[in-house]
Amino acid sequence: MGSERTLLSGEGITEKVGELAAEIRKRCGDDRPAFVGVYTRGVTLAKRVKEALKEEWPDIPLGTLDISLYRDDLDDLQTAPKLESSDIPFALDGTRVILFDEVMYTGRTTRAALDVLMDYGRPARVELAVLVDRGNRELPLQPDYVGLKVETKVGDYVAVQFVEDDKREGVYLTD
Amino acid sequence: MSELIWFKGGRIAAEDSAKLEQLDVLVEGGKIIRVAEEVKAPEGAEVVDCEGCVIAPAMFDVHVHAREPGREDKETIETCSEAAINGGVTGMVLMPNTLPAIDSGGLVQSVLDIAAEKSRIPIWQSGCITKGRAGKELAGIAGMKSKGVPVITDDGDSVADPMVLLRAMQYAKRFDLILAMHCEVKELSGFGAMNEGVVSYRLGIPGIPACSEEICLDRDIRLAQYTGARVHIQHVTSARGMETIRRFKEEGVKVTCEVTPHHLLFNEEHIGDYDTHYKMNPPLRTQKDNELLLQALIDGVFDVIATDHAPHTEFEKNSDFVSAPFGITGLDTALVSLYHHYVKTGIFGWDLLVKRYSAEPRRLTNLEPVPVVEGGVAELIVFDPNRKTKFTRDFMKSKSSNTPFLDQELDGQIISVIRDGEFLLNR
Amino acid sequence: MAETEIKSRKDLLDIESLSIEEIEYLLKTAEPFKELFRRSVKKVPTLRGKTVLTLFYEPSTRTRTSFEVAANRLSADVTNFAVSTSAVVKGESILDTIETLQAMRTDYIVIRHGASGVPALIAKHTRASVLNAGDGFHAHPTQALLDAFTVREVYPETEQKRILIVGDILHSRVARSTSTIMRKMGMEVGVLGPGSLVPEGRPDYMKSFWNWEDALAWKPDVVYLLRVQMERQEQQFFPSLGEYHRVYGLTSERFKRVEGAGIYLMHPGPVNRGVEIVDEAMAYERCLINQQVENGIATRMAALYWLKPGEENER
Repeated sequence: MGSERTLLSGEGITEKVGELAAEIRKRCGDDRPAFVGVYTRGVTLAKRVKEALKEEWPDIPLGTLDISLYRDDLDDLQTAPKLESSDIPFALDGTRVILFDEVMYTGRTTRAALDVLMDYGRPARVELAVLVDRGNRELPLQPDYVGLKVETKVGDYVAVQFVEDDKREGVYLTD
Repeated sequence: MSELIWFKGGRIAAEDSAKLEQLDVLVEGGKIIRVAEEVKAPEGAEVVDCEGCVIAPAMFDVHVHAREPGREDKETIETCSEAAINGGVTGMVLMPNTLPAIDSGGLVQSVLDIAAEKSRIPIWQSGCITKGRAGKELAGIAGMKSKGVPVITDDGDSVADPMVLLRAMQYAKRFDLILAMHCEVKELSGFGAMNEGVVSYRLGIPGIPACSEEICLDRDIRLAQYTGARVHIQHVTSARGMETIRRFKEEGVKVTCEVTPHHLLFNEEHIGDYDTHYKMNPPLRTQKDNELLLQALIDGVFDVIATDHAPHTEFEKNSDFVSAPFGITGLDTALVSLYHHYVKTGIFGWDLLVKRYSAEPRRLTNLEPVPVVEGGVAELIVFDPNRKTKFTRDFMKSKSSNTPFLDQELDGQIISVIRDGEFLLNR
Repeated sequence: MAETEIKSRKDLLDIESLSIEEIEYLLKTAEPFKELFRRSVKKVPTLRGKTVLTLFYEPSTRTRTSFEVAANRLSADVTNFAVSTSAVVKGESILDTIETLQAMRTDYIVIRHGASGVPALIAKHTRASVLNAGDGFHAHPTQALLDAFTVREVYPETEQKRILIVGDILHSRVARSTSTIMRKMGMEVGVLGPGSLVPEGRPDYMKSFWNWEDALAWKPDVVYLLRVQMERQEQQFFPSLGEYHRVYGLTSERFKRVEGAGIYLMHPGPVNRGVEIVDEAMAYERCLINQQVENGIATRMAALYWLKPGEENER
């Protein structure tokens, strides 16, 4: 195990969430989007951004996705991941959807998330918002909204932690 | 081969003595010529160092399935006799449930002919009670008797019709034949594959209630009481059945009985996850039965220990529990397993082993026992309690290896078997 | 959320060997699968490229179809291995079949067989995950899981709840597996049936009743009716189907009492109307038979999701 470096503090995260919210507000204009978070921390991120936009858009629909069933690495796991309920409590068809994930890395999670989303319906448009983009893509996918972009090596570990899900708050890189 | 064999420093086991006496044994041409504290070393004698070992009369098994003729893929008389020697057994009675069933003098002779050629130990063939073991017509009893059959039995099945059995007893009695009875009420056993009870419920396996055996056993002894015939109850499994025999014996009925090592050592719980090495008929009962049967053996209710050696191919035993055939092998393993579990642990002594697995089985077969005494025949084994025996497929001489002892290592090893002045086994 | 990790198993052979944590995991996992059924696309790619073989030595359209739907919704390729069910199938052919299956490199085998222990035997000899879809009188674990899931839907807290199982306890693998799972979930289990069909070897926890009067006085929360197997009557386990219905069946009069007490009704199907259950009970709003069928697919998906076949090079 290598050393741990802090990429963002708790305040840093709050700041980046604010920037994401502002950017989304700016680019969407009058077209209020629906949010969909990818379990677990993508859901937290989506909730935070929704909270930041509550003045302008008090009723952004929020859905959740569990992508476990769509993962392409299930064969390598000794334990079947615990499943959460995917819940899209609004009509997807014709809606502008922003998908939230905390970290973008190889792109495989995003690929799986898009597959799940398409199985629920036919959105008008899907965009991707991430708190951290750490590069090293294995698929031709790019985020539309990025909080922080960092250079990392394959094998590094980037952890986003939210107080809702973890004991502390911050973004950490372990090499 | 030396004419004289000197067994030096061993301890002698005998049926009537709980104590093992350290004595030298001198054998010449099949006879024991001297048993003494220190035999003077005769010139040219072959010396067998028996330091720390037990010298015992060789064993005798009254209940063996050699499968020949008909199922030579499971066992032959040759492989069966080698398994016997491997287990310290120098004589045995073969069951007649072969293909065809041995139900005439001619068929008895044909088996004895094979045995004369292939077996290094003497073999007694038993005959059927009824033709083809079908339970309808009496087999050729006089003809079989003339070929030396000591006992008649439909083993594998009971004689279902009590009138047929009554007639058989009345008839066989006049030929001084023993009727060995497999006790089971078929209608009660049904498709059962194991003891009926908590375990059979849990495994979802059709059960054979103990009363299936107990009722038939009671009936058979009552018929013997009525006719005055000699009956021998085979492979008793239930304590209640054993108590029935004890009671009739006290009444003076001419009944003898046997217990197998597996019905002493194992019970229904051992079946575990459908292990077919624990499937036999009559089935393994409960732990309580194990305890009570053992006590009855010590009390002398059981006349003999017999293995019910029942070889089956690996292929057959590898099928599901209900489809797999009943029975396990026993000749290779009986003596060592009994030593390991009971003699070594002090539950009973060598005297009981000799009495129940050597002397009494011979008497039951109208033979003289073979005690290790001066002037006696030299038919003995040397057993080393300090060595171990691992029952690997290669170690066992039976053609089949359907035994729960497969690949188990137990204390004690038979290192020599001598009969007729000859080493049948010398490890 | 400190949760103990639930390791995957290779086979699902019975309920007895499952821990309560494993049962809870399977029931929890079935929930999102059931939610899938409300989506426009009811399929997930989880088992894409995997093969599931159904091997039914006893005919059962319902159970086989349920497994097939479950496997299909997980995107597995499903093949039905046609076996002769007309002849009595002996052990020999099972060993041969195992060799064949081995050569087919299938990942999951769903097997039903008339002899107890056959799935365990196959599991020992193959790398594929084996799902027992009913063996002899022994076990029917996915039925038990779907029953447990169904009870959970109406009673989220199962502790101390009472289930009364009615019918042929002796020959029923459903009774064995379902009573075991309900017991593990803290429920009290009662049985009611003819004396000849309630075996002495039953576990101590089963409270036995010999008539409906006593059984209903025990105040069960769920009544689980077993299917009467018609051939049992020929074997004289009871005098006639008519007498069975009168004494042990859910008659109109007894149904009224069940309805009045708000007791839930379950049945593994297919039902013999007029024998173990009267017609009108099928329309009862607390009759859970249809839910059981739907939940069967979700719980079988959960089981397939959980099991992990052995390594390729293993036997």
